[in-house]
Amino acid sequence: MLKKRIIPKLLIKHRALGAVTRPVLVTTRGYRDIREVGDPVSQAKIYEAHLADELIVLNIDGTGLAGDETMLGLIERLATETFMPLAVGGGVRSCDDFGMLLARGADKITINRAAVENPALIAEAAKRYGAQCVVVSIDYRTIDGRPEVFVGHAAEPTGLDVLDFARRVHDLGAGEIVLTSADRDGGGSGIDLVVLRAVADAVPIPVIASGGCGLASHFTDAFLEGRAEGVAAGTFFCFRDQNPMQARAHIRNAGIPIRMEV
Amino acid sequence: MTFSDRLVGIVDYRAGNIHSIENAFETLGARVTFVRQEADIASVTHLVLPGVGAFGHCAEKLQATGLVAPLHRAVFDERRPLLGICVGMQLLADHGEEAGGHDGLGWLGGTVRAMTAPTPAIRIPHVGWNDVRFEEDFGGFSVGDAPDFYFDHSFAYREPRDGRVIGSCDHGGRFAAIVGAGNVVAVQFHPEKSQSSGMRFLTGFLAM
Repeated sequence: MLKKRIIPKLLIKHRALGAVTRPVLVTTRGYRDIREVGDPVSQAKIYEAHLADELIVLNIDGTGLAGDETMLGLIERLATETFMPLAVGGGVRSCDDFGMLLARGADKITINRAAVENPALIAEAAKRYGAQCVVVSIDYRTIDGRPEVFVGHAAEPTGLDVLDFARRVHDLGAGEIVLTSADRDGGGSGIDLVVLRAVADAVPIPVIASGGCGLASHFTDAFLEGRAEGVAAGTFFCFRDQNPMQARAHIRNAGIPIRMEV
Repeated sequence: MTFSDRLVGIVDYRAGNIHSIENAFETLGARVTFVRQEADIASVTHLVLPGVGAFGHCAEKLQATGLVAPLHRAVFDERRPLLGICVGMQLLADHGEEAGGHDGLGWLGGTVRAMTAPTPAIRIPHVGWNDVRFEEDFGGFSVGDAPDFYFDHSFAYREPRDGRVIGSCDHGGRFAAIVGAGNVVAVQFHPEKSQSSGMRFLTGFLAM
């Protein structure tokens, strides 16, 4: 039986130190309030030891990928120093960007703004790299009771309804959706189960829930009530004295299929 | 077991993540080289055919390398072990249905078909960790073992005409997760991404 996934999320910023630019791991709250946490590669190795099922790695500086050795070099190091599946995104605009990241060790590519502004990219990338490679990351805020798609670190409204947009990206060939409530990001108050369930019921592809995990029970809620295939979390694993192994035991005890041993 | 006498040739036809595979074999103590032209095959003891992407795209790229005939000789005349991974497995079929249908290499026969979901709880693509039930002993695994491996695919190999199903997996129906035929073994999952169960599997391949 396919297991539910626990997915640590590594948010990356570029930090210039003298002549060298290094990738640093950060967390955010409400997509703002950026806090530097440390070195992404060492953190990834810790997550691997804790049986993380996958990693999401996102460049949040809003810069393009071409020539960005800081980000591309990081992906290559993660791919050679850990044996975990990597979903990579941030600044992906074209099929060539997909190819560049895949060549450096990414397994799946996540797109966010490009899915809104250039939806044809979804179909083009799915044709070349397969649907399983194309992950659309949907950020939303709930305005007057209606979940609306946002881009640009969830600062720019698009006017798009989350459910309509989710159906559309699936129709275009996306293989997976990462759904993030920007209102709940980094707050630890729990996953937005209403929107998660609505999206998971609207599309037949896997939906990964993100934004708001503060307790191990929030993972269980997302799997059972929200019908998520996976839960992604950043802040939860960085600051809360929690690791994927502890969350896993709680989830297993709730009767949810999850990987326990290597 | 030491594998310093193994030289693994990973076929590099620009369709997939070859560095993760390279690193996995090096971690196991084998040497690794990339096969980009016929001359690169000469000294390798083991061959790996990777593949990430759409079946047709990968098939075209592989044919364009001109490596198909030399690889066939190395595998079927010289009997060097070959490991196909993901689309590298699927390409061993006669035909793949993805994106209108394309011909594969036909080395193990059969067809690669779209996976289907009998209930809404089964989501396609099949992404994540799923248990593979061993139907035969392979490497360090025995019949009945069911370790988890990492999968990421929408199409599956159900009837490999000229191969045996060494391991099967269930996602809306059972499909061939590991196929073997003589010195050829092919897997739908990603051993190079499957942490310790993947490393155990690759150890079994290096022991061939």
